[in-house]
Amino acid sequence: SPRFLALCPTSVPSSSSSSSDEEEQRLRAELRERFLRTLLLMTGKRVRFDMHEHVRVHARFGASDIDVLNLQVSDLETPLGVQREALLRCQDVIACSFEV
Amino acid sequence: MLRWSSRSPRHWHEFVNHEVCVTAGDQQRFEGRVFTVDPVSASVVLVSVQENECPSVRVILGHAVTDVQILRRGTEETERQMKSVFLPDRAQDLSA
Repeated sequence: SPRFLALCPTSVPSSSSSSSDEEEQRLRAELRERFLRTLLLMTGKRVRFDMHEHVRVHARFGASDIDVLNLQVSDLETPLGVQREALLRCQDVIACSFEV
Repeated sequence: MLRWSSRSPRHWHEFVNHEVCVTAGDQQRFEGRVFTVDPVSASVVLVSVQENECPSVRVILGHAVTDVQILRRGTEETERQMKSVFLPDRAQDLSA
């Protein structure tokens, strides 16, 4: 999974020292914390999803799995009507945006 | 050249707090200030703060990102302003 690849790199650079590993881990933690705060802020908000082929849909964001592979949303407005609950595959989504 | 999603946290961190233009699949372009890049999915979080408007946040999924260009460098003030969007009302600091 993407998380496994991110946390357990398959190749270890030969020249890396432990201090640079620690520095990299610190940066990774800082970036991840900020991303999780973004998801927290997005929860419950009306979000616009930009899909492939310039398709745009709106829904209320619920949650993401830890690997960011699926997004759980409510009241998804589709051309065929409103879907009360839905999962969006992240591979189908290019961007999502919301106002604070 | 390495794909965006295969880059290192060190590389992604260099974009934080700078105004960038992200090119994604279907040649869509998005501009804003980088709040973070998720080290798991390589997704880029952009913030746009316009005067007299609510700040808007955009997440560009890592798999779709093809290029990121820095447009303008950020300052301590822009970093502070950006953090205030994401932190809860109670005074609390990011741990890092």
